[in-house]
Amino acid sequence: MLKVLDTAELGTWVEAIIKAHDVIGIQARADKFDFGPLAKVQDLRLDYDVSLNAPKRFFLLPDEKLFTFKKDEAKSAQAAEPFVLFGVHPYDLIALRQLDKLFEMDNPDVHYLSRRAKAIVVAVDVQKPSAHVFAGCLGFEHVEDSYDILLTKIGNEYLADAATAAGEKLIALGKGFTKADDTHLAARKKIWDENKQALRRHELKPNKAQITAQLEKSYDHKIWKEKARLCFSCGSCNLVCPTCYCFDVADRLNWDLASGERVRTWDGCMLEDFATVAGPHNFRNQREARYRHRYYRKGKYVPDKIGEFSCVGCGRCIGACVTHIANPVEVYNAIMEA
Amino acid sequence: MGKIALKDIYLPETATAVAIRQLTPTEKCFEFKLDSGKSLGHMPGQFAEISLFGIGEAPISISSPPHGEPTFEMGIRQVGSLTGALHRLSVGDKIGVRGPYGTTFPVTTAMKGKDILFVCAGIGMIPLRSAIKYVLSHRKEYGKIHILSGTRTPAFRLFSDELEQWGKVDGVRLLETVDQPDDGWKGNVGVITTLFSKISFDPKNTVALIVGPPVMYKFALLELRKLEMSYANVYVSLERKMKCGVGKCGHCQINGLYACQDGPVFRYSDIAETREAI
Amino acid sequence: MDRPRVAIFDFACCEGCQLQLYNLEEGLLDVLGLIEPVEWREAISDQSDSYDIAVIEGSITRKEDEERLKDIRKRAKVMIALGACATIGGVNKLKNQFDFGEVRRTVYGKDAEAPHLDTARVKAVHEVVPVEVKIHGCPIDHFEFGTILKSVLAGKTPSIPNYPVCVECKKKGNICRYEYNEVCLGPITRAGCGAKCPTGGFWCFGCRGLLDNPNVDAAKEVMDIYGKTVDDLSGRLLLFNNQS
Repeated sequence: MLKVLDTAELGTWVEAIIKAHDVIGIQARADKFDFGPLAKVQDLRLDYDVSLNAPKRFFLLPDEKLFTFKKDEAKSAQAAEPFVLFGVHPYDLIALRQLDKLFEMDNPDVHYLSRRAKAIVVAVDVQKPSAHVFAGCLGFEHVEDSYDILLTKIGNEYLADAATAAGEKLIALGKGFTKADDTHLAARKKIWDENKQALRRHELKPNKAQITAQLEKSYDHKIWKEKARLCFSCGSCNLVCPTCYCFDVADRLNWDLASGERVRTWDGCMLEDFATVAGPHNFRNQREARYRHRYYRKGKYVPDKIGEFSCVGCGRCIGACVTHIANPVEVYNAIMEA
Repeated sequence: MGKIALKDIYLPETATAVAIRQLTPTEKCFEFKLDSGKSLGHMPGQFAEISLFGIGEAPISISSPPHGEPTFEMGIRQVGSLTGALHRLSVGDKIGVRGPYGTTFPVTTAMKGKDILFVCAGIGMIPLRSAIKYVLSHRKEYGKIHILSGTRTPAFRLFSDELEQWGKVDGVRLLETVDQPDDGWKGNVGVITTLFSKISFDPKNTVALIVGPPVMYKFALLELRKLEMSYANVYVSLERKMKCGVGKCGHCQINGLYACQDGPVFRYSDIAETREAI
Repeated sequence: MDRPRVAIFDFACCEGCQLQLYNLEEGLLDVLGLIEPVEWREAISDQSDSYDIAVIEGSITRKEDEERLKDIRKRAKVMIALGACATIGGVNKLKNQFDFGEVRRTVYGKDAEAPHLDTARVKAVHEVVPVEVKIHGCPIDHFEFGTILKSVLAGKTPSIPNYPVCVECKKKGNICRYEYNEVCLGPITRAGCGAKCPTGGFWCFGCRGLLDNPNVDAAKEVMDIYGKTVDDLSGRLLLFNNQS
């Protein structure tokens, strides 16, 4: 369902949504933007460049209870509450679409999936590119599925594309929506084309398939050692990445020492002990082996598994790396030079 | 997102310890019985995630062959918090179980009708015992059997009482070695690869199963290559850090493979080019 | 199970880590339900000869302190170092930068030569006797103290992170201090504090000590990206992580 809303009417509509739903919305935070509980419509900033934190944290929580136990009895902890996630950029939605596949395949993960099932996602096309975004090089500057509503700012109007019943119901909360026509679709196509060029703050030379193919023969490339020399193994690139989903699992005891909970927490393959077993033996002992693993995972291992390139070009890792070694564009361009 | 999966893949079912015996100074064998009364339904080579609530969870190889009963055995070395706490269990105590997970030794496929070479280095005996007992209880379906077993010292021989029984079965040749003998040891001394020169087998008609500590594989594989064994007939079981056991958490990756799903048992020819494997 | 007998001893420190134990509030009653304190100068007047767990607060700065610590070690089955002074020597290690005679004159003036004011190189507890468990931080985090104590009592090796503060900072979703050109020790400092300082808008002081394998060279090499010098970094490291 395609509708159009005058930008002046957006506030009234979002206000109605806030009244009816818990809303996590994009808003200003210091000199940046981030997702958080949206209390009032004035805080919503659909003109943002990139969110400090990727939206994955609302589905795969940084620290999440899997079950509670009491002596020998365990009870699954599934307490997903419905909410509206308002203002997701296309590249971040593509990242969520990948996580959906990964958590669904083989052994469906009820914790992640139930949160996803209960969330209504309102995506928005990028209005201002961030400092490090390169999603345009990957074709991830726009998205054509996986949203409940996609908003695109066209002049003084928002084109609202509701792709699901939940999205349509959300639109029904608004007043002033009018019918869209082909000119709106053409205008959106133009914005997508423009964003393909604008979301290229770093220029990735090879295409996705070329990177995946080149990684076949880049295992001993000098780039891994060169870059890893300055790697803190701090995991920042992992943790800010919208497609990284590795986790650790641990038990927390209550003071009775008999009851407690099993939790999973974010983990990262760059951390020194990520592959260490009791003994101890570390199967990825060298910084460069861990560093390489991350780029293989984004460029080859996950693509081999789900058929989609697993770096979406958001550029968060580039900004998060204190020593400036985590730019995937530099790495993938370098391996092409062999 | 549409359907919601109902089963929680991380929630263990409970089992009760029904028998515990000391195998070596550092290993015990536990027999657990699923409280559901159902069989675990595993095949040789698979593992299960074992929990003690409050302590944690770890992947542990299943040492017994499948037999349709709700019980299964695990040989467990005391190396960390969880295994330490498991060693303090008494009969009647409960554990959490998820599984079985992972790939199996090809007892019903590639091994059928073939001569079998078991290479059990140290703790590698624990998963291999499941396959050995399976093969011995289906003796007619396989050819000649060699069991090579190596341990640090005689005190660390795992399932030593059973070893002697296995060696007496028709068509089974058992060879043992230890790295460091004690006063009573009359057998071979040296690492496990020194046993290869003491046996003769038809490399074309033999399937080898090798399990042991990480450092052992390279040497054992090299010896088998010298004996003109094709890597397509060699199976290994690889240990990795695992948290979920179901292909999500990412810890067990061997390059693009998941030890928990694509392994732990690998046909070596499939991973000979996988750089992180051995 | 009998409650384990626990003794708490303080050496050179501000005793702020012991105070953190009182911040457990009702949790302190839970702790007392699980242990039997047999020696704890700040809380009880009893003294004891043997203990299952000895908790050591403070760093070791004098010869007689070393002897006292060794004696405690003999009586204890498990030894826990409590707080930065005990685990890494803490702020007290600043002293090791100076001539000890000068240090004594600066602090004690004309009494500097009094025999009981003798001083020696500051050591962390593990530099004198073996330590089973280290509870890091200046001060310690009382929740972490609880988690570690519960682990010890449940027979589980306490999990002390060997990853940097950045991990907890990113989980919190903070803005990196380097975005503001601040020299933060987070990337080389052991986590476990929940990234309290960066979350509060401050750079990490490194009070939990360095990681097992910190990339200090990398930290030095990137200082100029942020308009800083290696001296700026070394200065920051002096407070809790000078290796003298």
